[in-house]
Amino acid sequence: MTWRYRFVFLGLVGLFLLVVLRLFYWQVVKASELSLLGQQQYGTTQTIVPQRGEIETSDGFPLAANKISYLVFANPKEIVNKDAETTVLASTLQLDIASVSASLSLDRFWVPIASGIDSGTKQKLEQMNLPGVGFSNQYQRFYPEASMAAQLLGFVGKDSAGNDKGYSGLEGFYDRLLSGKEGLAVEVNDAFGKPILAEMNQSSGETDGANLILSVDRSIQFLVEQKLKDGVEQYGATSGMVGIMDPKTGAILAMAAYPNFDPRDYQDYSDSLYRNPFISDLYEPGSTFKPLVMSAAMDAKLVTPDTKCDNCAGSVSVGGYSLETWDNKYFPNTNMVEVIQHSDNTGMIFVAQKLKVDGMINYLGKFGIGDYTGIDLQGEVSSPLKPENQWYAVDLATTGFGQGISVTPIELLDATAAIANGGVRMEPHVVAAVQDASGNTTQIQPKVLDTPVSAGTAKVMTEIMINAVNKGEASWARLKGYRIAGKTGTASIPVSGHYDPNQTIASFVGFAPADNPKFVMLVILNRPTVSIYGADTAAPIFFDIAKSLLNYYGISPDGN
Amino acid sequence: MKKQVLLIGILVLIVFGLSLVRIYISNQVATSGVMLSQIQQQVDAYKMQNMLLAENLYTKSSLTNIAQEASNEGYVEQKTDFVLNGQAPVAYKQ
Repeated sequence: MTWRYRFVFLGLVGLFLLVVLRLFYWQVVKASELSLLGQQQYGTTQTIVPQRGEIETSDGFPLAANKISYLVFANPKEIVNKDAETTVLASTLQLDIASVSASLSLDRFWVPIASGIDSGTKQKLEQMNLPGVGFSNQYQRFYPEASMAAQLLGFVGKDSAGNDKGYSGLEGFYDRLLSGKEGLAVEVNDAFGKPILAEMNQSSGETDGANLILSVDRSIQFLVEQKLKDGVEQYGATSGMVGIMDPKTGAILAMAAYPNFDPRDYQDYSDSLYRNPFISDLYEPGSTFKPLVMSAAMDAKLVTPDTKCDNCAGSVSVGGYSLETWDNKYFPNTNMVEVIQHSDNTGMIFVAQKLKVDGMINYLGKFGIGDYTGIDLQGEVSSPLKPENQWYAVDLATTGFGQGISVTPIELLDATAAIANGGVRMEPHVVAAVQDASGNTTQIQPKVLDTPVSAGTAKVMTEIMINAVNKGEASWARLKGYRIAGKTGTASIPVSGHYDPNQTIASFVGFAPADNPKFVMLVILNRPTVSIYGADTAAPIFFDIAKSLLNYYGISPDGN
Repeated sequence: MKKQVLLIGILVLIVFGLSLVRIYISNQVATSGVMLSQIQQQVDAYKMQNMLLAENLYTKSSLTNIAQEASNEGYVEQKTDFVLNGQAPVAYKQ
């Protein structure tokens, strides 16, 4: 008999435990969900859409903020005089009469008429007291500086579910941070529909988006965009771009491209303009690449500034190709300082051959060439360097003077910044700090990526670049009284398997003041027509901007 | 025995008193929803006004707008700079 008692007892205990577990599930695990369901039966539930975070320049001014706008809707069943109301709505909202009439003819209780209406228009319609017409609030992106830094910012569009989503640039990269978290609010009402005090606004989970505080200086960005636009128009280029960075921290001070787009009406522009060419376009850098190769060879102790070039007396034949200088002028027994000064391709072939393929790959890798810089913008691309066994002799030679290799402008800017920063390469970044919805600010610390060359090599290379500015082909445009390090570039564009001699990418890269750089800048013009050379087009834009920047920073010339 | 009865009496009185207080407060608060609703509307109106003013302020103080206004007024970019290098004597002829 005992086992039967035990069996019944254990069965009852088991059943009791099951009941306890079930109760635990409903009362503890599912408690909040059930509570919310209950509240929904005697109250109204509203989804709280968080405000998208603002994007501010270093002076705290918003480049992208939020503004309130209105959705105009109608209940066609409440409209008495359809024709009159159609005319009034169409003229006030500047809509097509036919489309308004079609909306108001629908057999529905709610039809949207127009969205993104400003408060003035809303007030005008409210005063008319139109029956069956109502409004609901909307938030939309607002750009106080219009199209300033458009490619840097990106834009806010819609995802497949119709929710706001950031695309490209900062809006794309930081979309989750900027979006915040959607919440749910329950307002419990009494029998008359009035809210009950004790149960008012039980909201859960809603967090506004974080604000981004950029390292971008609004004044510099504005100045650069003006000068770039003027430069592109003056030199008849198809497009242009400028990037300015603080070499000591990697902070981006300005990044501009022209033509650009207006993020408010992004849908009216070609998709190709949404991309930020400074991080998304690959190009052959041409002579602006020479300081990297030269400093690599000097750092490896393969050449010194006094090393004489023994193959610079004429064109050089490599792998069956005849390689020439850009102006067909040759300087026998020229030294390395003069090679950069004259932008001598044969001299750079000499240097590249000294460096050999493994040395070239090693140093270019340390300069970040062929890799992502890690900039905090959506859309960065990179073209990896070829494996060592796929390099031909001609590849090594042309890489020496920046042809046959593809880089993004940000890669070149960051690599040149390493020379300006005593051989230390920093990670470029646009966001300096993130401020959450509670007002807590988190600073983004500068990050060292690599040390491609020693401080001594960087110093010598800086002097060589200063000499290039003072005595090179762009010396006519230089700023007297300032020590500015720089290098021109005129890269041929590969078209259908060969280089088109009349189509070039003209550029200038440099930094100032050379002894304690405040900025490093890269100016690129795409297919300038007035002159194909960087010295005649990109260099004057560089020095024009540099002059304004030096004034802005209060750095006066030394009088020499 | 007397003490126990007294204690129970006090407890009953406390329960009764607190119930009365609760009924009174509930009655007082029951109609506050209307007022609260009005306050909420007022807060929303202020928030909206604040947002519109901020929008206006940002638009007016943007460099794009200032540059446009300056250009309309006839201001042009300063092309020449005057820089003093080193210490200049206060008066050359003294």
